[in-house]
Amino acid sequence: MGIIQPVLIVALVVLGCFNLCYGGEEFSEELLLRPLPDRKVLAHFHFESTTPPTKDYGHHHHLFPKAIYQLVHKFRIRELELSFTQGRWNYERWGGSDPISSSNAKPPGVELWAIFDVPLDQVDATWKNLTHTLSGLFCASINFLDSTTAYSSPAWAFQQSSGSIRYGALPREAVCTENLTPWLKLLPCRDKSGLASILDRPAIYRGFYHSQRLRITSNEFGSEGIEPGIDLEQTLTIVVQPDDQRTSTSYSSGKMLQPDWSIRSIFGRKISGTCVLARSSSVFLELESTLVSELNKVGVDNAASDGEQVYPGVELSVAPDQVIKERKSSSVLFEFSVKKHDYKPLDIGVKWKYPIVWSCVQAPFQANRFLMGSGNERGSIAISLRATNHQRIIVGDEFRDNCEMRVVIFQVVPWYVKIYFHTVQVFLDGRLEHTPAVIEIIQVSPSEDRVSPGVMEIALRLPCSTVSAVITVNFDKGFLHIDEYPPDANQGYDIPSAVVRFPDIQASTYYLGENSSQNSPILSKFQENNPVLSYTEVLLVPLATPDFSMPYNVITITCTVFALYFGSLLNVLRRRVGEEERLLKQKAAGKTALLPLILSKLSSKLRGRSREPSESPSPSPLLSNKLIMKVILLAGLAVAWHFYFG
Amino acid sequence: MAEIDEPPQPTTTDPHQTPQTPLQSGVIADPNPDNTRSSKPGIKRLIMISTVLFSFILGLPFLLKSIEIYRSPLPFRDIELLGDRFESSPRRLPCKFQAVFLGFEGGSSGGFFDVEKLGFVILDEMRELSRNNGKCGGCDLNYTVSVTAESEAGCVTNQGSSMPSLWQCGSFSELDDRLKEDDESVDEWLDSMLGKYNGDLADGGKMYTVVVMSRDEEARIVVGKHRHAWIRGNFGEKDAVDKVANIFVKYFMNGGKEDGLVKGEFMPVGADGRIVLSFSLLNADPQHWIYNWNFERIEEVKLFPIIKVLASVANISVESQVLYHTPKSSFSYWDEKLSSFIFSTKDLPFFVNSNEWHLDTSIAAGGRSKVLQFVVYIPSAEECPLLLQLPNGEISSTNGFISPMWGGVVVWNPSDCEKIFTVTLISDRKAEILDIEMMEWIAISQLRQNFDDSSEPSLSPILLLQSTVRFSARWELIARSFHETWQNLMFWGTIQISSSKLKQSRGRGLIIGKIRHQVMLSLQAANLAENNASLGIYEASTVSSRQARALAEDAFFHPSIMSISYYSFEHCFAIYTPFFLPVLLHVVLAAVKEWKRYKKEQAKYLAGKSKAKAE
Repeated sequence: MGIIQPVLIVALVVLGCFNLCYGGEEFSEELLLRPLPDRKVLAHFHFESTTPPTKDYGHHHHLFPKAIYQLVHKFRIRELELSFTQGRWNYERWGGSDPISSSNAKPPGVELWAIFDVPLDQVDATWKNLTHTLSGLFCASINFLDSTTAYSSPAWAFQQSSGSIRYGALPREAVCTENLTPWLKLLPCRDKSGLASILDRPAIYRGFYHSQRLRITSNEFGSEGIEPGIDLEQTLTIVVQPDDQRTSTSYSSGKMLQPDWSIRSIFGRKISGTCVLARSSSVFLELESTLVSELNKVGVDNAASDGEQVYPGVELSVAPDQVIKERKSSSVLFEFSVKKHDYKPLDIGVKWKYPIVWSCVQAPFQANRFLMGSGNERGSIAISLRATNHQRIIVGDEFRDNCEMRVVIFQVVPWYVKIYFHTVQVFLDGRLEHTPAVIEIIQVSPSEDRVSPGVMEIALRLPCSTVSAVITVNFDKGFLHIDEYPPDANQGYDIPSAVVRFPDIQASTYYLGENSSQNSPILSKFQENNPVLSYTEVLLVPLATPDFSMPYNVITITCTVFALYFGSLLNVLRRRVGEEERLLKQKAAGKTALLPLILSKLSSKLRGRSREPSESPSPSPLLSNKLIMKVILLAGLAVAWHFYFG
Repeated sequence: MAEIDEPPQPTTTDPHQTPQTPLQSGVIADPNPDNTRSSKPGIKRLIMISTVLFSFILGLPFLLKSIEIYRSPLPFRDIELLGDRFESSPRRLPCKFQAVFLGFEGGSSGGFFDVEKLGFVILDEMRELSRNNGKCGGCDLNYTVSVTAESEAGCVTNQGSSMPSLWQCGSFSELDDRLKEDDESVDEWLDSMLGKYNGDLADGGKMYTVVVMSRDEEARIVVGKHRHAWIRGNFGEKDAVDKVANIFVKYFMNGGKEDGLVKGEFMPVGADGRIVLSFSLLNADPQHWIYNWNFERIEEVKLFPIIKVLASVANISVESQVLYHTPKSSFSYWDEKLSSFIFSTKDLPFFVNSNEWHLDTSIAAGGRSKVLQFVVYIPSAEECPLLLQLPNGEISSTNGFISPMWGGVVVWNPSDCEKIFTVTLISDRKAEILDIEMMEWIAISQLRQNFDDSSEPSLSPILLLQSTVRFSARWELIARSFHETWQNLMFWGTIQISSSKLKQSRGRGLIIGKIRHQVMLSLQAANLAENNASLGIYEASTVSSRQARALAEDAFFHPSIMSISYYSFEHCFAIYTPFFLPVLLHVVLAAVKEWKRYKKEQAKYLAGKSKAKAE
């Protein structure tokens, strides 16, 4: 038995291996590059790890990160999304209705939401434990989301769920390399090989925007409608400004030439190979439909080129392996398979021959949020929705007058900003509207002091012809207890971004390829029907802050007053006025000050008559010896101070 | 109000009068006012200022008391006493031993074997053997040995022992029949026969038995799974005594270790009684080759039986991962003679590359769970084969090493090192599977070593029924469990005494009620563990000792202990100085002045008085 057993195991292992080894678990890495209209470049890294369900596959994995598997099982997570973002996504210039801007443009700081598969009464406890675990896992202050004042439970405006969702955001959380390193550790090859090896830290952090995101989708606990198993999606979205050697080049039309760039010029490294564990490893270059139409207008270019000319006016340094066109618009995707270039570093680059101006496809409304009012007592929050030109593209001119568009707003405010929900007003094109006519649904959860934040979920139904819509709501500023103030309280308090969703418009792109969309996780994600979503700015609300040294000052001054009072009283009690006067007189009779004597002698000589004895025995206080000595001493000290320390 | 001195006439004593003119004063009445005075100096002001000064000084303790930080009273004295007791007098198991001699004929005292003498001889031998034992665990020094001899001549038990014999006289023939079967059934039979009365012992302790059978056959010693051992063979009396004493000391007292369980050794069990065994397969460079394992199968077949057995010692869970791009951080050199890359034992501290080996603590192991890491390292093709050279120059047969309390590392070299050194795509080559048999043997032996099980049963002439898997024998579990209890209590003593000293030395540290509650519970649990251990209720004592230790840790690491920095003495001093310094200055100066003046005036008065007398 002793000998047979190990042999049996080896046999089983060898037989089972070819089914098991990576058969169930998959990892893929992809990079999407996109030139942006404002002379910047978007780089979007997409890593995806999947594992089959535990009941079929077991709980030992070869590719899937152990930490995430344990996280899912310990907290029974159905869905989780965690993002660390620095900078703000510019919806106007970088796009607002494509999958990247809807799913990967995140509010500054940390945003975390999770849906749990636990009984409703355990959701809060699970959330708290989860925040602490994630805090340790990602070296961030996510544990500050464990307080009931820091998170909320959106009912419908953020995501449809049955009460087991929790949402929290930390707008002031600084994001840096200590958060990226644990995120990279979840990749099987980390940043040692594959696409992640080009992630040069200075290149990332000097960019205009970077957002690292982690999304877990699990069907381990019998959820419906989700692929079985666990899906871990890790994305890193960066907007960088390429170094431009030809900045001064401008054309007669006044247009500036777009900067030429390559992977090496952006990240300082070339792609030197794939992660050997990745099923697919591809780089995509996307030219938006608006850019493609501009390029088509340029005309045929006959100039000689050393690269691959894909469009008149644009030249690629490497020939794409595949060109994929979008089904609905004229967007184009060039696919470069890293595996095919495995023996030679891959450096995809773009060269512009003509100045081209285009704009990205935006969301129907551009959302902004600002504060109104002044002072430390009260104010108003206004969310402004401004129609973009692209609304016409999406809706169509002929339907603009008759159609309506739904806009869903989800906003969480801390308890110390006491929102008065009855003061909600909606202005359409500057006119105050009757609220029930515009607001389809409103659900509010008033804040409770030191217990829960205020949550506002509003569904608006706006006519498509609306140019601007403004929603205002008044609030009172609360007072915090002295130990509730955060460090640097005078800076103000950040109110997390509001989420604005357009449920009628789907942010999806359908790229038709031979096999690309079937095999490429990133293209599959692009095809998912997710509504267009955008975040507003983080609001900075100044609150009344006390003088934090005040208690100490009060104690000190009170003590000083007491001490003075006490000392004076004591002096009065023990003073002997009569005796003092007598002593003073004796002293005055005994001696006369030297200086006044000399002065009086001098003056009498000058006048030419004999000196008369002074009427008053007391010397002038201004001219006393002691005073003069003191003045001289002080002056000496001042000179010495100035000489040595001045 | 401004009365200066005690006046010569009572009319001048009215305090409500306006200040007296110098002519009215008693001092002026003297022709030489600077040196003499006729009236006695007044003491009203002196009394007043002294009262203020003393009130001030007496009021200071009240003020300090009123601003005192809340400190729950802790039983510092009890903690120190108990901690010192654990330190100075190690706990030992209450043990009872019984030797049963079957079929031994005759002896020095006529027809029967001299059981009285035998009892003393075994006892002496045992004391001799256990003299150099470790300080923790083991048996109480007051143990006794009961000896029963049964032969055709009859059955006799020694009177020197205070314990009754558990052996039922007349069972010899039944045992003889059983011996024809396998050892397992003999062991079970012995347990059923001896265990029937085992629980009836008055003080709760259990008895260990060695049955010695004199037979004309090859010597055979078997240590059973419960509390019994049996010896068969043709022995003389001395031989038999030696063997019996040896079994008693080595196995039943010391848990199977030659030197006993020494102080300082430690079980890798978390304070919550949990251990996570984390197995990691590290592919140093996946560009060269990728190896994989079927860990489900390893866990199911090999680890599960061990976990099941160890369940009484610890709650064990297993997890695994495969990591890539994990080079070691030490260097190796090429040895031409061995045609291998060599790393020596000196390199071991640098072998584990904490930068690249993100073994991590486990999310599943929360709280105080202990994680033991077991790593199988597959070197890259650039340093394959990689061998560990021992200090004596030989190559390690296991090619691995353990780090106590951390885990172990095994270097596993692929069978054909020159096979691949070209970069190929993963889809083109299958991930290869490890030689599981070898690897798992090493991993499991490392696991055993981490559990302080370095014995080599196969080399011993004594057959241990639990030899395939350790910790399956009752006697071993008792020793192990008691060892853990003792270690926990020692740890408890250390942490509680340190905590007490810290709290006492920091006079302004806050001690909240919760800390007191935890300390009291911890003290109770430690006392309970000690009592249970001395009664031989080892499972309960282990549980209590774990609880005591966990509570002691909780109390020690309670966050409120940090509040000391929020209200330090310096802070308090800074707050109250603006009041106390000026007031104290006023009061003290006034007191000093007044006292000086009083002395001066008193001297004048005395001078005046003596002058008046002289005149």
